[in-house]
Amino acid sequence: MKLQPVMPALVAGIHAKTMRRVAGIAGKLFALAWMAGTSPAMTGGLFLSVSILSSPASAAEAFVTAQGADSLSIVDLSKMATVATLPIGGKPAGIAVSRDGARAFVTSPEGKFLTVIDAATRKIEKRIPVEGGPLGVAASPDGKRVYVADLYGRRLVEIDLATGAQRSVGVGAMASGVAVAPDARTIVVADRDDNALSLIDAASFSRLATVPVGKHPFGVAIDASSARAYSANVESDDVSVVDLSARKVIATLKCGSRPYTVALAKGRVFVANQHGDSVSVFDAETLAPLETLKVGEYPEGLAASADGARVYVANWFSNELWALDAQTLKVVGKAETGDGPRAFGAFIRDAN
Amino acid sequence: MRQGPANIAPANIAATRRLFLCAVAALAFLPAVAARAAHGASPLKVVETTIIDAPPDKVWAVVSDFARADWLPGVSRVEATGDNVPDRARRRLIMADGGVIEELLTKRDAERMMLGLHREGDDVKRLPATNYSALITLRPAENGGTQVEWKARFYRGHPTNDPPPELNDDVAIAAVTALQRAYLAALKAKAEGK
Repeated sequence: MKLQPVMPALVAGIHAKTMRRVAGIAGKLFALAWMAGTSPAMTGGLFLSVSILSSPASAAEAFVTAQGADSLSIVDLSKMATVATLPIGGKPAGIAVSRDGARAFVTSPEGKFLTVIDAATRKIEKRIPVEGGPLGVAASPDGKRVYVADLYGRRLVEIDLATGAQRSVGVGAMASGVAVAPDARTIVVADRDDNALSLIDAASFSRLATVPVGKHPFGVAIDASSARAYSANVESDDVSVVDLSARKVIATLKCGSRPYTVALAKGRVFVANQHGDSVSVFDAETLAPLETLKVGEYPEGLAASADGARVYVANWFSNELWALDAQTLKVVGKAETGDGPRAFGAFIRDAN
Repeated sequence: MRQGPANIAPANIAATRRLFLCAVAALAFLPAVAARAAHGASPLKVVETTIIDAPPDKVWAVVSDFARADWLPGVSRVEATGDNVPDRARRRLIMADGGVIEELLTKRDAERMMLGLHREGDDVKRLPATNYSALITLRPAENGGTQVEWKARFYRGHPTNDPPPELNDDVAIAAVTALQRAYLAALKAKAEGK
């Protein structure tokens, strides 16, 4: 078996260029240093601001769909506190933050639309109607296209954000999770009720293959080298590891009860188990189980920070976002969210 | 399911009982394969709480005995397998009206006094909701009593968008709310010994 380096990459790595916000933090630190009478103020302030600039967690945010509250909770991950709530409507579930952190895309399966959000200003740019039951969502690495799984229509919808044009490709029954490979060539869709993944060629937007996996795959993730896809199989309590070029399952990882989503960080595979109230952790190279972490009640959405230092999990029953240290595998923070957090997708907007 | 004949010779009772238990176990597992119906994209949540005038240990003894939940309203008897072990223990609630409800134990945490269960198979005529899960949590209350929280996760009865009025979200929430209130009232009566 080929050993692939697995870099931190859930559906897509996120590299926000939010210099304005960082500058704001630096300014506040200057003011703080001045008020505290730090001397020499300039040197100390500059040093302090550089150290903050290099800290990835300082301005990272989680965009958590709170389906019960019909809103989006934006959590400041340095404070682990919800700092903004955006009303969305239509029972928001799926989320994808673009790799550059500029936009967030939220699906509303009951409202049958996709909401496009300016992530920096936290303003809703527009609502795009999507027929059926838009659920899983992922953005292309260049942020120009969004892919939405229609849960009821056996199709994946591509939306060209510049023109608004939509086109569809047929996939399997109850299409759920969506992931785009970092090399932008392949899109993976979990066909929940077909117990399979659909592999879509992004350029031609056609279905290349279906790969049988475990029972009821829901969340999917692709590694940073675009070599492997992972599906969390809710009803067989396992994760299928799929070689994307061979188009077949190369390993099956036994998880806790009702695994729902997968994320990758620090050369590890993280899996949220809904009934287990836990996150299973595996070594991505050896595929050996490492740990089972107890988390909040009914964990759902799972995503890693771009540097892979943290993995965040949304707990649906207890309305919390928990932060896990991907290296030490310890719980390092908790934040309250709106009711019924799903956060199904790449919900972290990183500060880098 | 029908009971075995009443006039069995004593020597055969043990064997018959084993056979009966095997049959129960087989039946308990069969529907679980097929019964997980399709459901949509929007789980619903209902949280109901009550205060019980009995200590947490006493209430936990009732709640945690998943296999002996004959105190649940409308239940005439319970057939259980799996020794109260999560993800293995199943119970068939034989209802007084002749119906059967099957449930899987998903969590049993004595330290935190939490019990989780999942209803296996849906019957929207009985409960206009699907994929019902519950998480029951006990906490100490004032004066030595117990606060019981009964949280449910479920989907509306209609599996896709645009539900008919009788299977929409509101109907499902109302039905589950009524069910959980009845469960809590029955638990209170049982634990308080009334």
